[in-house]
Amino acid sequence: MASIATYAPGSDQLLMGNEAIARGALEAGVGFASAYPGTPSSEIIGSLAEAAKEAGIYAEWSVNEKVALEAAAAASFAGVRAIVAMKQNGINVASDFLMTLNLTGTNAGLVVVASDDPSAHSSTNEQDSRPIAKWADLPLLEPATFQEAKDMTRWAFEVSEELKTVCLVRGVTRVSHARGDVRLGEPMPPGQAGRFAPTSPIQFASLPAPLKHNLMHQKLAKAKELFESSRFNWYTGPEKPDLLVVTSGSGWFYSLEAVKALGREDSVGILKVGTTWPLPEKLVLGRLAQTEKVLVVEEVDAFLENNLKELVGGNLSSVGPLTFYGKGSEHLPAYGELNPDLVVQALASVLGIEKPARPSEYVEKAQALTGLVTHARVVGFCAGCPHRATFWSVKNALKLDGRGGFVTGDIGCYTMALGPAGYFQLKTVQAMGSGTGLASGFGKLGAMGFKQPVVAVCGDSTFFHAAIPALINGVYNRSNFTMLILDNSATAMTGFQPHPGTGTNAMGEPTAAVDIEALCRALGVRVEVTDPFDLKGTTEKLLGLMADEGGVRVLISRRKCALVRARQEKAAYRMRVDSERCLGESCGCNRLCTRVFQCPGLAWDSASGAARIDEVVCSGCGVCADICPASAIIREVA
Amino acid sequence: MSPGIEIKGSQALQDEVRARRLCTLCGACSGMCPYHVPYQGRMVTLDDCNLAQGRCYAFCPRTPVDLNLLSQTVFGTPYPASELGTAKEVLMARAAADALRSRAQYGGTVSALVAFALRTGLIDTAVLTTSDEGALPTGRAVRDEAGVLACAGSNFVASPTLETFNREAAGDAQRIGVVATPCQTLALAKMRASPLENRNNIDKLKLVVGLFCTWALKYRDFADFLGERVPLDQIVKVDIPPPPANVFEVYTDSTPVTIPLDQVRAFIRPTCNACIDMTAEFADVSVGAAEGVAGWNTLIVRSEAGAKLVEAARAGGALEVEPLPDANLAHLKEAALLKKKRGLSNIVEASGSKDDLLYLEASREALRALLSGV
Amino acid sequence: MEGKDPLNVIVTGVGGQGNVLIAQLIGRAMVRAGYHVTIGETYGASQRGGAVMSHLRISLDAQYGPLIPEGGAHVILGLEPLETLRVLAQYGNPEVTVIANSRPVHPLAVTTGAAEYPGREQIIRTLKQLSSRAWLLDATDIALGLGAGILANIVMLGALVGSGALPVGLEAFEPELRESLPAGKLDLNLKAFRKGIHEVSAAGEPV
Repeated sequence: MASIATYAPGSDQLLMGNEAIARGALEAGVGFASAYPGTPSSEIIGSLAEAAKEAGIYAEWSVNEKVALEAAAAASFAGVRAIVAMKQNGINVASDFLMTLNLTGTNAGLVVVASDDPSAHSSTNEQDSRPIAKWADLPLLEPATFQEAKDMTRWAFEVSEELKTVCLVRGVTRVSHARGDVRLGEPMPPGQAGRFAPTSPIQFASLPAPLKHNLMHQKLAKAKELFESSRFNWYTGPEKPDLLVVTSGSGWFYSLEAVKALGREDSVGILKVGTTWPLPEKLVLGRLAQTEKVLVVEEVDAFLENNLKELVGGNLSSVGPLTFYGKGSEHLPAYGELNPDLVVQALASVLGIEKPARPSEYVEKAQALTGLVTHARVVGFCAGCPHRATFWSVKNALKLDGRGGFVTGDIGCYTMALGPAGYFQLKTVQAMGSGTGLASGFGKLGAMGFKQPVVAVCGDSTFFHAAIPALINGVYNRSNFTMLILDNSATAMTGFQPHPGTGTNAMGEPTAAVDIEALCRALGVRVEVTDPFDLKGTTEKLLGLMADEGGVRVLISRRKCALVRARQEKAAYRMRVDSERCLGESCGCNRLCTRVFQCPGLAWDSASGAARIDEVVCSGCGVCADICPASAIIREVA
Repeated sequence: MSPGIEIKGSQALQDEVRARRLCTLCGACSGMCPYHVPYQGRMVTLDDCNLAQGRCYAFCPRTPVDLNLLSQTVFGTPYPASELGTAKEVLMARAAADALRSRAQYGGTVSALVAFALRTGLIDTAVLTTSDEGALPTGRAVRDEAGVLACAGSNFVASPTLETFNREAAGDAQRIGVVATPCQTLALAKMRASPLENRNNIDKLKLVVGLFCTWALKYRDFADFLGERVPLDQIVKVDIPPPPANVFEVYTDSTPVTIPLDQVRAFIRPTCNACIDMTAEFADVSVGAAEGVAGWNTLIVRSEAGAKLVEAARAGGALEVEPLPDANLAHLKEAALLKKKRGLSNIVEASGSKDDLLYLEASREALRALLSGV
Repeated sequence: MEGKDPLNVIVTGVGGQGNVLIAQLIGRAMVRAGYHVTIGETYGASQRGGAVMSHLRISLDAQYGPLIPEGGAHVILGLEPLETLRVLAQYGNPEVTVIANSRPVHPLAVTTGAAEYPGREQIIRTLKQLSSRAWLLDATDIALGLGAGILANIVMLGALVGSGALPVGLEAFEPELRESLPAGKLDLNLKAFRKGIHEVSAAGEPV
């Protein structure tokens, strides 16, 4: 099957934005790619890893984004072009190194792609990554189309090498995860590794910082010059528009379509900015001077908008009177994702005209006919997911313990335990490893009268990413909590990427698997292992660990992810319900399995007044047989 | 139930009983479904059951009670104006066999009656209470004399023994006897009088032996307290000798430990303050200490079935019976009446109004005969 | 394309039905035929029971954005009835063409007994009232008849082509199917595809 490495140059291919970025890197002769999985960025290194052998490059899933960036920087220092990709949170993790790498400078081109997730469809925060460019004094590009995703990435390596610093590329879901036709160019073979040969004692250090800081500013000024003539900035519309729309990234398509939808091509101009930081000031000021009204359309924060205002503030005389519209004026929301309707609404409002409405009769009819029936599908754990079983036991153990114990949560599929899927067990969710960090803090409050048992949950991939330092902190500072590691042998939520515990690397090669249990034991703490499908045993172990208040305790709840297992083996059991024995809604059960346990493989059949197994969905894990009070769920070895 | 009593469900049980600290941990609400589970001295509700009506609410001795209806159901007569409840006779009794007496708290009457009932087939299963590992008591189903002996002795800590009864009733046992505290006998009576379609196999209940009780202790806190003074796994027997001793005695393999009773009172379950039944009024027979008469029990015979059993046990050489000295009887009545008065007074204090007797509101009529001012 | 440029197509369903695959097949076939295509996907955490919706913008002239404005769909291909209704409410209009599969995938609210799934009659009535042309096809049954329920999405793709809503025919899809499927499966998939075309032409318009 064709891959991003083998598609013919000159052909048009339907590519995902992330694939286009990956192809752009190949066309730039990238040799080293590293990342930690994170939606919506995972496919960048994912597709490079798939194509690695064919393309003759190296790609890795790193333990976290900071290490990913460090590893890639090494390649750059040694003369190999490198690319790192991450979601917005990854920028936070990598920022410590980025804020010294910017001072240090690079050698071969180093491109860092930040993919933001507006509306946090798959994130624990909504964050605009772009301000880091301003903060770190680094050049930033924003592709608006799939073609640009490829072409800008290729150009980013040139920019990086010319300036000898990192070049940032910022994507969003609607560019990274959407697909469009892209005309491909010629891949370049990766350069051979040169040598690590500093030309001065400080070439690869960030020190002395003030000197390097000054040099960094000079690089930025050079970037500004470069960007003035970039083909990724362009204007379309009349010379003197009544309204100038300034936009970047996914805002471009929305703006173009909005102007068309309102029929204002003759009076509204669109300035598409591709080199978002530093702004190509002459170009921008030139366009701003032609109008009195500006509407800024961009994703997440008013980054472009405020930078424009700042620019105008320093150049008042040359632009004349200007009114800005956008997030600052609340014509566009300052939170949540953009969509075509929001932009049309904003544009119509600024122009003082009516937005074309849907036929009201149709809308009313549609509401009446579908309003009641279209319940949003609640997301939850898959049938057979070990997390459902684990959180069932956690729920029961905490209730039985009775001291008001609670769970501090972390990031992964199990984050869904914040909601009904996991019986609302998670009480905190922030960043990677934060559950354990918080628990380490809670666990020291005993001396202040704090009596509630704390359980920190953490997945296997999260454990390697960030939780280990927090665990060690708890051990070292003698904190009192239980760490519950959910080991399902996968980085499941982001697409089943391998990690240090799974025994395979990004390129599919077998490698040493880091043993989580051994690592924890080496810290000298009490470690127990449980099978989450053993509900009784898991509950008892948890109760025992919570009652033991001697410092940090670890419980590893180990069972393969249901989807991973389904690819490797057939179902363990064939399940059915004996409807004669099923107590259904009566006192003694009241639909425990469908109403409370809520595995999607169990369905309530109101006609027969009994539960039944949905054979299409049921994964044959057998757990439900153990919760039925009437022993009506029959489990047969398949 | 009488028209004034509405049977509700699990949520109401939580709100009306558990949230108000009225739960006696009798166990009547558990052993029937996955939601109510007794654990280490607490009744825990694992999940929300949203049924409008449930057995848990119907059987609970602290949800609304109609004492008249229960009395009619159990004895066929109205609730009496009597300190000791319905009683045919009040006697002194003890086990005839040395083996039983040596294991017993006082006279071994309960063990003797239960063992006799098992031996003669009146019951095939006895639901008793014992202690495992320290002071946590649990219900246990036994089917022979050895089992009865193993459970002999008092422990003064509330036990959810009716959970075991509910499980046995749902299982293979056909004729069940229960040794029950007053709140548990009340729950068993409510089971017999319940209007719910699900009868919980209550017809399998053939014998209720009640225990006199002034109060019961909360396990967890009391266990911590006791554990600081005596290793829990070394405890062989505990006892509260009659006044004026005012102590709690703990017997181990070495010297007994004596604890001032006032310190132990701190762990009394709050619900015991709202109890008006010292002598287990809804049993077939009720048994307690015989004050001042070491090695003997006070035995109240209440029902036809109870009278038959006592006579058969006496005639069969399992039980020795004597008249109870008048002074003992007078003192017993005084103590029982005091508990009723105190209980009602505490209830009024808790509810905030003389017009709200909480779970006894539907029994106001029935109580008025004995207690003026109700 | 009857003057519709861009042609706005929505493919909707529940995670695991092959929604994304279908959207990509359409996209690649159209690119091969010389069109600009953009596909935007909205996942409700697709593999964990959520809805999946793919927006396709197909144009000869230019590339369009990945999201269709509300009320802007020209064609809705629904692999699941409830999702079809949901998409219809948000993106439909009196001129829309709808092709829906009849087989429900019950949401948790229904399996746990908290809600009722709409009946077939209600679904047909709704489709009829909210579109200009609509089909409700038993694609899953047809697929099961061919030996694999997962082929339902290929049957639906065939139906889409058979309805004439796309400016290309089966020939445009053959190279895509050939490239993306394991060799042994091609014939079965082509069979499913043709059955879909047949369903639409033979059945006329059942709603």
